[in-house]
Amino acid sequence: MASRDVVRYETPLTRGFRWFSAVFIALYLVWTLLPIFVMFVSSFKDLLEAFKIPAVGDWSGIGVFFDFTPTLKHYRDLFLNLDFSRYMANSLVAAGGSAVISVILGSMAAYSLSRIDFKGKSDLFFWIISTRMAPVVAVMVPLYAIFRSLDLVGTLPGLILAYTTFNLPFAIWILKGFFDNVPYAIEEAQMVDGATRFQAFMAILPLVAPGIGAFIVLCILFAWNDFLFAAIIGSGGAKTLPVATRELVQPQNIQWGSIMAAGVVTTLPMMLLGLVIRRYLVTGLTMGAVKE
Amino acid sequence: MARVTFRNVWKKYGEFAAVKDLNIDCPDGSFLSILGPSGCGKSSTMRMVAGLEHISAGDILFDDRRINDLAPKDRDVAMVFENYALYPHKSVFENMANPLKLRGQEGARIKDRVTQAAKLLEIGHLLERRPQELSGGQKQRVAIGRAIVREPKLFLFDEPIAHLDAKLRAHMRGEIKHMQRTLGTTMVYVTHDQLEAMSMADQIAVMHEGELQQLGSPREVYNKPVNAWVAGFVGEPAMNFLTCEITNAGGKLMLTHPDFALALKPEQMKCLNGAGTAATVRMGVRPDALAISMTRPAEPAITGKVFVNELLGGDMIVEVELADARIRVKTAPEFAGAPGEACYVTVNRDKWHAFDAVTGKAFF
Ligand SMILES: Nc1ncnc2c1ncn2[C@@H]1O[C@H](COP(=O)(O)OP(=O)(O)OP(=O)(O)O)[C@@H](O)[C@H]1O
Ligand SMILES: [Mg+2]
Repeated sequence: MASRDVVRYETPLTRGFRWFSAVFIALYLVWTLLPIFVMFVSSFKDLLEAFKIPAVGDWSGIGVFFDFTPTLKHYRDLFLNLDFSRYMANSLVAAGGSAVISVILGSMAAYSLSRIDFKGKSDLFFWIISTRMAPVVAVMVPLYAIFRSLDLVGTLPGLILAYTTFNLPFAIWILKGFFDNVPYAIEEAQMVDGATRFQAFMAILPLVAPGIGAFIVLCILFAWNDFLFAAIIGSGGAKTLPVATRELVQPQNIQWGSIMAAGVVTTLPMMLLGLVIRRYLVTGLTMGAVKE
Repeated sequence: MARVTFRNVWKKYGEFAAVKDLNIDCPDGSFLSILGPSGCGKSSTMRMVAGLEHISAGDILFDDRRINDLAPKDRDVAMVFENYALYPHKSVFENMANPLKLRGQEGARIKDRVTQAAKLLEIGHLLERRPQELSGGQKQRVAIGRAIVREPKLFLFDEPIAHLDAKLRAHMRGEIKHMQRTLGTTMVYVTHDQLEAMSMADQIAVMHEGELQQLGSPREVYNKPVNAWVAGFVGEPAMNFLTCEITNAGGKLMLTHPDFALALKPEQMKCLNGAGTAATVRMGVRPDALAISMTRPAEPAITGKVFVNELLGGDMIVEVELADARIRVKTAPEFAGAPGEACYVTVNRDKWHAFDAVTGKAFF
C-alpha cells in the first residue's frame, strides 16, 4: 500500500510558483477577509465611530479604525428589542430540519439508485435532477399557491418542506456518487456476517461520511442564506435571519449598527459549522479494503 | 454443521452460463474443494451458496432443506471473500468481531474469540490497525479470521491463501485443514491451485468452463482422471500427452508412436472396449511414470534429446525433445545429461492413460 507522503523535487519553476502562490494567497485573503473584518469591528462601534474613515491614500490614518470604545449595544438591541433570538431559532430549525430530512431520505434513495438495477433507473435519476433545472423564482408563484392552499405559508414546517424539495435532488445526486465508490463486497461481507440489508446499509454510512458532510454544509448554507423562500413562504410566522436583517433597512432609518451585528450573528454559526464538519470531510476512507 | 447438496444448479449472467447443471453432494463435516482455472465459475458457485447471487435454476440444499430463497444472514455460513472485503473504517479487531457482534454475543466472549483466532493466524500484533495499513497477505489473514471467529454451519473459503508467501501458505494449509477437522465444520474451499486442493480436500470438484468435470477424492482425481482435461490440469509438473495409434500385431494390441511402441496389458485392452485397432488415442503419462537414462536400456525405450534440465531441489525435471513433441520426465537430481545429448525414456507400463483423441474421454 502506497503511503500518502508526497515526494517533492525542487526546480526553479516550482520555487517561482511557490512565491507566486504565496503572493496570490495573501492578496486573496485581504480581498475576502477585509469586509468580514470591517463588519465585525463595526458591530462593536457606535454609529459615529463607525463612519470615521481615513482619507484615501492616508495609510498612517489607519489607526482610526481601531480608535473606538467597544460597545455591545447593537447586540443588546438585536436580542432584547428586536426579537432576533426567535429569528435565529427559526433559521436553525429551518436549515437543520431540512438538512436532516434531506440526508435521511437522500441517502436511502441514493443507496437504492446506486445498488439496485431496475427498469427506467436512468430516467428516474435524470428526472430527479431535472426538478432543479428551473430557477427558483420561476416556480415561486405556483409553489406559493400550493403552500397557501395547504396552509403552510408562514409556518416552519412549510419552510422546511420548501427547502427539502430543493435540497433532496442534490442530496441524491451527491450521495449516489459516494455510494458508487463503496465496493459492494463490503455489504456482502456484512450480510454474510449476519446483517440485514438495512444494517448493511447503516454499516457503510461511515464510508460516505465525507459526502454526507459536504451535503449537510451545502444544504444548511442554502437554507441559512436563503432569502427568497424565507421572504415569501416563511413570511410572518417563520421569519429567518436574512429576512429580519433586511427589515432593519427602513426608508427613513438604516440601522447600520444593528445590521452589522446581525451580519456577525448570521455568519458566525456557519463558520462554526465549517470547523466542526471539517474533520468528516476526509476522503479516501475506502482505500485498501477490497483487492482491485 | 451441514450437508450441502447442489441439485442441477445453473448460474446465468444474462445469456452467459457461468455454472452449468452442477450436481455435488458434500457430506456433513467434509472438506470439498472446488478446483478449476480462472473464470470457470468457482466464485459464482460459492456466492450462490452464500446467498449473494441468485440461483438461476436448480436447488442448493443444506441438510435436505432448500435454501435458495434464504437471506444470507439466515444461512449461517462464514465466508472468506476472494477480494478480502474488509471494513475499511474498522480496526482489525472490529473487523473480526463484527460477525459476533451482529449475532449479539457479549463483549468478553468476543474478545476471547478474536484474540484466539488472531493468535492462530499470527496477526495478534495487528489488531489495532486499519485494513489500509496491512499488506495483502495480512489482509487475507484478517479475512480468514473474520470467518473463523464464529461457529457456522458451513465455511466458504474463496481462494483464501492465494496471496501469502509459499512458506506461510504451506503453514496455513495445515492450519485450515486442522481447524476444519477439529471443528468438524463442513467446508467448501475454492482454489485454482491443485496442490492446495490435493493436500486438503476430502473431495475435489474439478470445474472447467462452468461444467463439473470430475468429483472424487484427491487420489481418484489424480490417478483416474475422467478425461484429458482433468488429467492435464491436475498434477505438477503437468501430464505429458502424445498422440498415438493402437495397432494390432498378431492379436496383441500395441500403442505405437513414431518414436516408440508399447504393448498393452490385457486389462488395458479390455478398457479400450472395442475402440479397436488403427484408432488414434492420446496417451497421457505423468513425468514421474517415466524414467530416463543416457544409455539404451533393455526394454523398449523412446529415443530423444535432452532439451533442458530443471533442478527442483530433491528432484530434477528433464525436458526431452522428441521428433514432434516435448515431454517432461521426473528423475533424480544426479542425472547428468547435458542439453543436446541423446537419451532414452522408458514408460512405466502400469501408469499411463489413454484418452479418446476426439472427446478426450479416458479409456483408462
Ligand atoms: N456479475 C457478472 N456478470 C457477468 N458475468 C460474470 C459476472 N460474474 C462473473 N461472470 C463471468 O462468469 C464466469 C465465472 O466467473 P467466476 O467469478 O465464478 O470465476 P472463478 O472461477 O471464480 O474465477 P477466478 O479463479 O478468476 O476467481 C466468468 O467468465 C465471468 O466472466
Ligand atoms: Mg473467483
